[in-house]
Amino acid sequence: MLKDYLLPESTTKVVSLLDNCNGQARIIAGGTDLLLDLPDGKVATECLIDISRIAELKEISLEDGIIKIGAAVTHNQVAKSDLIREKAPALASAAGSVGSYQIRNSGTVVGNVVNAQPAADTAVALVALGASADIVSSGGNITVPVEKMYAGVGKSIVDSTAQLVTCVKFPAALANEGSAFVRLEQRKALALPMLNVAVMVSLKEGKFEWVRICMAPVGPGPVRATAGEDILRGAKVSPELINEAAQAAVKQANPRSSALRGSKEYRTGVLPALVAKALESAVAGAMEINK
Amino acid sequence: MKAYNVVGHSVRRLDALEKATGTGTFASDYSLPGMLYAKVLRSPHAHAKIISIDTSQAEKLPGVKAVATYKNTPRVKFNTSATMTFTVPAMEPVLDQYLFDNVVRYVGDEVAAVAATSEKIAAAALELIKVEYELLPAVFDPLKAMEADAPVIHDGCKEGKNIPGDIVKIPYGDVEKGLAESDVVIDETFKLPVQKQVQMETQAAVARVSNDGKITVWSSTQTPHPSRMILAHVFSVPISKVRVLNPPYVGGGFGVRIGLSAKAEPIAVALAMKAKKPVKLVYDRKEDFIASDTRHAGYVSVKLGAKKDGTFHAMDLKGILNAGAYCSFSCETPGVLGAMGLAVYRIPNQHYYGHSVYTNTTPAGAMRGFGNPQAMFAIESAVDMMAEKLGFDPLQLRLKNIMQAGDPWCLPYPCSSSGLAECMEKGAASIGWERRGSLNRPGAKILRGIGVGVGTHVSNAWPFCVDYDNAYITVQQDGSVLLASGVPDIGTGTSTTLPQLAAEALGVNFDQVSLTFGDTETTPFDIGSHASRTLYAAGTAVVAAANDARKQILAYAGEYLEVAPEKLELNDSIIYVTGQDECDARKVHLKDLAYHAHLRNKQFIGVGRIVPENAPPWHAHFAEVEVNTDTGQVKVAKLTAAHDVGRAVNPVIVEGQIEGGVLQGIGYALSEEIKYNEKGKQLNDSIHKYMLLTAEDVPEVDAIIVEANDRSGPFGAKGVGETGLVPTAGAIANAVYNATGIRFKEIPITEEKMYRALHEKA
Repeated sequence: MLKDYLLPESTTKVVSLLDNCNGQARIIAGGTDLLLDLPDGKVATECLIDISRIAELKEISLEDGIIKIGAAVTHNQVAKSDLIREKAPALASAAGSVGSYQIRNSGTVVGNVVNAQPAADTAVALVALGASADIVSSGGNITVPVEKMYAGVGKSIVDSTAQLVTCVKFPAALANEGSAFVRLEQRKALALPMLNVAVMVSLKEGKFEWVRICMAPVGPGPVRATAGEDILRGAKVSPELINEAAQAAVKQANPRSSALRGSKEYRTGVLPALVAKALESAVAGAMEINK
Repeated sequence: MKAYNVVGHSVRRLDALEKATGTGTFASDYSLPGMLYAKVLRSPHAHAKIISIDTSQAEKLPGVKAVATYKNTPRVKFNTSATMTFTVPAMEPVLDQYLFDNVVRYVGDEVAAVAATSEKIAAAALELIKVEYELLPAVFDPLKAMEADAPVIHDGCKEGKNIPGDIVKIPYGDVEKGLAESDVVIDETFKLPVQKQVQMETQAAVARVSNDGKITVWSSTQTPHPSRMILAHVFSVPISKVRVLNPPYVGGGFGVRIGLSAKAEPIAVALAMKAKKPVKLVYDRKEDFIASDTRHAGYVSVKLGAKKDGTFHAMDLKGILNAGAYCSFSCETPGVLGAMGLAVYRIPNQHYYGHSVYTNTTPAGAMRGFGNPQAMFAIESAVDMMAEKLGFDPLQLRLKNIMQAGDPWCLPYPCSSSGLAECMEKGAASIGWERRGSLNRPGAKILRGIGVGVGTHVSNAWPFCVDYDNAYITVQQDGSVLLASGVPDIGTGTSTTLPQLAAEALGVNFDQVSLTFGDTETTPFDIGSHASRTLYAAGTAVVAAANDARKQILAYAGEYLEVAPEKLELNDSIIYVTGQDECDARKVHLKDLAYHAHLRNKQFIGVGRIVPENAPPWHAHFAEVEVNTDTGQVKVAKLTAAHDVGRAVNPVIVEGQIEGGVLQGIGYALSEEIKYNEKGKQLNDSIHKYMLLTAEDVPEVDAIIVEANDRSGPFGAKGVGETGLVPTAGAIANAVYNATGIRFKEIPITEEKMYRALHEKA
């Protein structure tokens, strides 16, 4: 049963509070998932540690080509950030499609990742952007790629009763790089994605230098379409090749049939079009920056 | 049309400030000293017999004050819908519900209820109630439920297996002969989904039972007076000992609480009687989904026959609807489906056959349109198919066949007016109908199309149901006016538009009029808000009351001014001689006259007592859609909704009604559906899982008001409340066909259905 609600003002304090509570306390940021899970009995805790008053966690920063998004940064902050829109459009677009406007005003990008839903929009984008997370605890500080943060469906490797993710970080797009996020949904707000795809491309002399393609919900967490990436790497940019890569991507996807959000057959059928669309947008973005 | 001072003007709504600032109160806001909170235990099974129920542990939980089950509540049969109060003899209402029964018939059916000092304790107590069930076979489809081996859901169905009430048959001309004489016949069956009202406020009631047995219920009902009759029946008390009121607002309805708010009121009353304390029961959203009425799903078949020249010659219409587990409005809905379906086109030979069938799903009842959207999706699809077969432009084929004012038809009142042709012309111009057929380049991934659908409706329920209205107008001692009408304001603006009518008819300024409404103790009997009737029918009573008061005022003023009353006029609260010049001193302000009368022991009290006539509103919807061939997603780019509403008493409110209806209609066509799993559990039991449009999904909607002259209603007004979604699904399905060449005979047209159809076609 919940007994206490704490508002520490530094990450150091958070770590010591977690340590003192010995598993009986839990981090809360935006609370848009947690405040539903607590009354439903899916999560139980004696103490909530609210990190939304910690100044350093509320910032989006760019330093030495690395963009950092603090753990208390909301979806709307990211979606509206000029820096993110310019240097990581896939993430701006993903953050802008989570839940509804009110949810985006409260929920955080890091919370979206830690909650570990299979198709968490920002997690899909962050994987495509090659992001990693800084995790602190009394046991020491570690950095983990977002791609490795899923421990199963709805399960994160982060233990929010002992660890605090302070930020996610990724390299800002260079002039020859572009990213994009595409989402298939039943309506424009308050709808979990039937599918979502994020890609990042780096172009060099009309060729793909490298590509990251990430798709969901086609597995326990965001899934990399490495076969599609391999097809594109080093090859000349063309619609035909993009389609070939998109078709290859499907082979690594294993969507489930959902009574609410589409059958496996439907999702598998539509996925290539989404991958191709994301690739086309990302390529266009990479070229636009070149101009 | 004549211009008026108040009618026809978009005056600011009288509830606007209160609602916009959050100070307006609803049943779910209400609380009383010492009030307890109720929670309901609901069946996890689609069909089962309760073998045993043990509430002893729940009763022992500290804070629990009362537990109700079938064992300790009235064994009185009733129907939660108002049908039991307004079914016209010789028809008999179907009473098939108990407050609690020892058989549960759908997942969500009421098993027990607890009142406790907090909602949390009440919820904890539910977990302590031990119920042993014997599972019974269940059936979910209306066609299967009529089969010989289907389980019996209710005894006493005289028309056939699991068919509640009477089968509706509407004969008109000779349909067999007509079909035989037709050159072309379209014969199709269409499948309709379960749609949910998803009104903003869930079902809610706060009940107090006084020591001398008087029952007061603050309720979310959209028909306070009929609800009072139902409660008096259930608890076997005189109607005069029951008061039902809205406090004063209701967070929407769309038909879901014509009668009781599901079982919120009687459960709260039963618990309040046991606990001897006030009890509040507010359904959570999941309860609202699974345990309050939905729209009827089912099947509609159309056989439409026409001559080669495009003249419709015969139509055989059939509707088989899914009643769900209890009857509610399942006798009336198939009736309206048939009556409205047969009233749109001039067809000399018609027949309708329709009924509902019990199944083990959430009961279906009234929802905006009441059978009419089901009829018109099928009919308007069939008409488009006919146009293609005959080589006609779909708009021209309709214009050739639509009902005209004065035409004979199957309805028991005259077709008194029709602005449908004007609706179609204005709508076609708005959508750019001439662009139809030239919207797509070869190889385009996004296919565009334009479609049309039309329809009619009622302006109240007379003579299908009991339907009458009363209103009082009392002129206060300062000349201001208090109006009393027994209708609620469920968000449709009644509390603004009825005072508009009173001000206009009486001849006073709008700001002088106040309304008491939604309360059985301060207003005379009125059926309430349903059947697009409130402004038309209750408004007719308001105008009658105003005319009565006006007559008294002018008679008194005649003596006061020493002028014959028939030579006097009342305008802007001033009584003066008709045609007099400015210098003429023979005039008096109502304020002075009312006080003059007061000092002489007199008050002007107008009474209106009416049985409404009926009048057909008409509507034409035009949809432009975009179909994404990659994903199957259908997007409505624009929806034009042209509506003949008679006189628009408050045009902005009318537009709001049309726009809101259109959005529900788009959802009906494309995304809204409650599906059940194989055990009868709703899959879409929350707003998150039920694909209602959000604000971000709203397309461009062009609401066009057409005002055909109709003498029957107040200042020429006709019904509008339900009409916004009657032809929408047909218009969208026709636009989808125009875009893709794929004819959908089942809605909603989801992305997956479209994707599959596109691939089957390819």
